[in-house]
Amino acid sequence: MARNKSILTEARQIERAVTLIQLGARLQVLESETDLSYERLLRLYKEVAGKSPSKGQLPFSTDWFMTWQPNIHASLFLNIHEYLNKVSELDEIDVVIKAYQLYLEQTQSQALEPLLSVTRAWRLVKFVDNGMLTLTKCSCCGGHFVTHPYEIAKHYVCGMCNPPARAGKGKLAGALQIPPAPGRVAADAAAHAH
Amino acid sequence: MTADQILAEIREANLSYLMLAQSLIRVDTEQALYRLGISEDTAKLIGALTPAQMMKIAASNTLLCRFRMDDDIVWGLLTSHGKAAANESVNRLHASILLAGRHQEAA
Repeated sequence: MARNKSILTEARQIERAVTLIQLGARLQVLESETDLSYERLLRLYKEVAGKSPSKGQLPFSTDWFMTWQPNIHASLFLNIHEYLNKVSELDEIDVVIKAYQLYLEQTQSQALEPLLSVTRAWRLVKFVDNGMLTLTKCSCCGGHFVTHPYEIAKHYVCGMCNPPARAGKGKLAGALQIPPAPGRVAADAAAHAH
Repeated sequence: MTADQILAEIREANLSYLMLAQSLIRVDTEQALYRLGISEDTAKLIGALTPAQMMKIAASNTLLCRFRMDDDIVWGLLTSHGKAAANESVNRLHASILLAGRHQEAA
């Protein structure tokens, strides 16, 4: 790739890279989204994050986005992303950054763990661009949710209109929870007593 | 509430709204478009308003901003009057997803 000669462009790219690092992006994201050299990115990463970047492959599976809770987070992010895409003219990576910041705010305001990392969010946008994932309209609430592209749109019902049996039973702090139906509480209490 | 009080309160609300909108737009225009649910052209206009203009626009007997949802689904989710199965934070996320999906009004 031809090295960028413009200092202004480079300054903008460094600024972008710093924002991404602060949001917790993996080095591969920076490599793909800026023209800065690997060595410079590595130095920048250590300077901003105060530690060496994590090694290893990026999460590559689309299945993660299909499980109940991640799907809700991913759908929220992607809806924000689409919104920004429609109303403004930004570079692709800037849309990801701004949408991710808005997503973080939303989870913070509800004291939820932001399950979707910025790296995953970036991957999600790539998956959608490549047609490996898409947004499908829920036939029940009309919202748009992340699905595989071959989902039958006419009958699709989202995980919030129709939560799967085990959904919302996790006890982790910051996780989405669905309280059990009143009848179940007594049964659970009885089970715990033994 | 007397008529004078009503007018004063509306002016106050309008002015706060305009000032907040303007600072949001100046901090980050694109994110402000999402937060406010307005079009880029409107954002440009609001961003360029002078204080005197704002005072003039705010002094009115109607509010300048209105609700972004007018359907039972989102209202039901936000007020938790809908389904009993899901809890409040799931409902709020659900409402956010539905609202974020509505860019037709803004664009």
